[in-house]
Amino acid sequence: MSVTPEKLLVVNDLSTTFATAGGPLPAVANVSFDLTRNETIGIVGESGSGKTVLSRTIMGLQPRTNVAVTGSVLLNGNEMVGTAESVKRGLWGTEVAMVFQDPMTSLNPVMRIGKQIDETLRVRLGMSKQDAKARAIELLELVGIPSPSQRYDAFPGQLSGGMRQRVVIAIALACSPKLLMADEPTTGLDVTIQAQILNLLDELKERLHMSVVLVTHDLGVVATRTSRIVVMYAGRIVEIGSTRDVFANHRMPYTRALLESSPKVSNASHTRLITIPGRPPNLLKLTQGCSFAPRCAYASDKCHQERPELQGADQPGHSFACWNPLPTTRGDSAS
Amino acid sequence: MTDTTQPLLKVRDLKVIFGKGHHAVSAVAGVSFDIFEGETLGLVGESGCGKSTTGKALMRIVEPSSGSIELDGTDLAELKKGGRQLRNIRTRMQMIFQDPISSLNPRRRVKDIVAEPLDCWKTVSGHERDVLVSDLLSKVGIDPAVYGNRYARQFSGGQCQRISIARSLAMRPKLLICDEMVSALDVSVQAQILNLLEDLKAEYGLTLLFIAHDLAVVKNVSDRVAVMYLGKICEIGPADALYEAPAHPYTKFLLGAALEADPDSPIHSQVLEGEPPSPMNPPSGCRFRTRCPKATELCASEEPMSQEVAPGHQVACHFPLSITRK
Amino acid sequence: MSNTFLELEELALVEKPEKKKPLGPLFWICVGWIVLNIFGAIFANVLPLQNPLFQDYGTINAGPSLHHLFGTDDIGRDIFSRIVFGSRVSITVGFGSMVIGFGIGAPLGMLAAFRRGRFDTIVTTFMYILLAFPAIIATIAVLSFWTPRSVFKIILVIGLASVPLVYRVIRTATLSVATKDYVVAAKVQGATDRRILMKELLPNIAPIGISFLLIGVATVIALEGTLAFLGLSVVVPTPSWGNMINESRTVLQQNPWLAIFPSLALCFFLLSLNFIGDRLRSHFDVTEVKL
Repeated sequence: MSVTPEKLLVVNDLSTTFATAGGPLPAVANVSFDLTRNETIGIVGESGSGKTVLSRTIMGLQPRTNVAVTGSVLLNGNEMVGTAESVKRGLWGTEVAMVFQDPMTSLNPVMRIGKQIDETLRVRLGMSKQDAKARAIELLELVGIPSPSQRYDAFPGQLSGGMRQRVVIAIALACSPKLLMADEPTTGLDVTIQAQILNLLDELKERLHMSVVLVTHDLGVVATRTSRIVVMYAGRIVEIGSTRDVFANHRMPYTRALLESSPKVSNASHTRLITIPGRPPNLLKLTQGCSFAPRCAYASDKCHQERPELQGADQPGHSFACWNPLPTTRGDSAS
Repeated sequence: MTDTTQPLLKVRDLKVIFGKGHHAVSAVAGVSFDIFEGETLGLVGESGCGKSTTGKALMRIVEPSSGSIELDGTDLAELKKGGRQLRNIRTRMQMIFQDPISSLNPRRRVKDIVAEPLDCWKTVSGHERDVLVSDLLSKVGIDPAVYGNRYARQFSGGQCQRISIARSLAMRPKLLICDEMVSALDVSVQAQILNLLEDLKAEYGLTLLFIAHDLAVVKNVSDRVAVMYLGKICEIGPADALYEAPAHPYTKFLLGAALEADPDSPIHSQVLEGEPPSPMNPPSGCRFRTRCPKATELCASEEPMSQEVAPGHQVACHFPLSITRK
Repeated sequence: MSNTFLELEELALVEKPEKKKPLGPLFWICVGWIVLNIFGAIFANVLPLQNPLFQDYGTINAGPSLHHLFGTDDIGRDIFSRIVFGSRVSITVGFGSMVIGFGIGAPLGMLAAFRRGRFDTIVTTFMYILLAFPAIIATIAVLSFWTPRSVFKIILVIGLASVPLVYRVIRTATLSVATKDYVVAAKVQGATDRRILMKELLPNIAPIGISFLLIGVATVIALEGTLAFLGLSVVVPTPSWGNMINESRTVLQQNPWLAIFPSLALCFFLLSLNFIGDRLRSHFDVTEVKL
């Protein structure tokens, strides 16, 4: 690369549509955002929001058939959309790596964990057997696995869920990627383990100067670990901005609903949660208006007719897609 | 909750041991607690701490190895397995499971699923049964006219959980055991179900045992909370007091690790190191001592007994944290 | 790396279809074919067919013609008529032995998987010992000695031999259902074991059972053919598809039709059964992702 682009990741008007028996299913629609170096961005949404498909599309991990991807994903200057798999293979690991939700299925259960790390190092970086082993043990140590030289020979089944996720992170870090995609990395782990893994990701990000995309349904996970947040609903970005803006000055009613419906430890017992009716829409039967309109208390006729585009809020970098945004003044959400 | 009230459920020294000999695992290693009529007791802990096994042992879905489970004075642990008496008493306590999809038979119609307890006991039939089923379905927010004849497999997780609730209420139980009932649901759906549960609790005069790993969820629904670690209850107390000033070091760590959806909440750099030891080979003395920064020799040699640090607030620790309010 | 896109939660959100994909014309053609065969077998006596045993020495080894639709065999019997009458043996043996196999194997398998414990251990061990026996050789041995052979005896022997196989399939299917939460839930609601077996387990096992039954019928019909070929089926001159093929061996050079038509009848019947069984299984599989 002659010129190193300023932005590590530029996603522009990205859409992923699956062909299903029920018609085209727009899992991701017209998504644009970017990511600077050494930044952590959070992608938040419920099931069906398209967050997982988005992260896989950015990686270039699509099934071979029945899917159409349009738009562009520039990863450190490399276009990922429409690129041949052989080219993408060269980018996976060194430019971008992924940590999946379920460490049990992303590790090979019948292969020693050391070998699983070795393999990447030897194939991708052409290391010798001895060097690869030494590096693998180093990586295991880096991700905080106690007595790494002994664990090198363990099978995934012999490790706890938290340890397995650490191994998955070690594999992802093997080729020093510039971007780490973490898809629900702590879902299914216990709270104390969850805190350990999130702290580890934070620490590694600083140490290795990586950028991280943290995909999750849990607002608690992104609240203190990200600089910016993307809120997705029905395949689209409905709000994007700095973490502080999204939490404190959100304009999109869905963001507010998401925040208010999650129970908080600081709530008194028997606090009544504020809920939104219904559930996320069927992506095969989207209407032309705002996808959230059927569940929204502020929806007007316009919301049902015409889809709102992202528009800038007061703060730079903060945008939302809503015809009837919440007022900027804080305080009304305290009700 | 005064001492004069009789508890609805009285659990004493409940133990569940799986396997035999060297492979024996004591999933629940002597748990005692009371649940009073009309209250919600939250049971929190990490995976493998035995909270779900406790719930299942109360229902005799798994067999308790020892201990007593008194519901309104009848000891469930004494009743013959598979006997009519046990079947009978189960109408007074019901359970809602974690996986909403797997809790409902995919090949049965919703109204038959809800009517199942009624059909088992033949308490009502014909028109009366249909009216009751419709009423239950409406109560949980499912339109019986539209959805009653559909099969369970056509519903989403949240809807399945609603149907499960309707089914569990059919026999008008006194005690409802909710085992991780919202952990498989999306945030917005989870809130709906929690609110529904609170409404139905009031309407049906239910007493709840709410088992979950999510600290925030437990606090939001519970009057009192019990914290489990490796098969034992380490702390039990009123929800607000326990969360504000935990007396057990483990509870403190657990609360510190909980993620708040608030960018201003501090990141606790002091997280609990390591992982719980295997229940096959629990540490001597206090079970938490291997991870506890305050552990001494006393903790290794002697198991701490439950002691009261404040009214209704008990902790099993040799060196409980000061609970003077901040 | 798990890159099975189908598992994605996002797609699971697609509202579950109320109406399933139709079974398709090929399925109904197969059903039609089976029904036609069974109809023929039942009403062979009253249908305007020639006597399958009548030997017309005037026309031996004749090719297909208007008078003899499929031609005649080496002693002048009408092949078409013999195939229709022959289907009686094949179909009766096929379904009959499966009735015995399922009648014993299915309830045992369900009970064992539901009850577990000692009952399961004993029955399963016993069945596995039986399975270790080469069933075909045992069948052949028994049929060789138990003469005179009749349809009933063949059904009984094959039926009993199939019990362990049916048991194993049904037990495995039940096990996967019996651990589901809804079974626990039913128990907790106070349902009796009998009620759980009938209402919760049976409807979920039935689809697997029915498809295995059809494939079992097909296997047994083929087995009857094998036995007949070895001369161990019903006593000649009663026709069965198997013994017709057997008889054709000696005159294959002069009259290939004698081998071709019964083989085709057998082949299409088995093909249809297998296809129906397989199609039904996937049709009733509620877990299979339909995209």
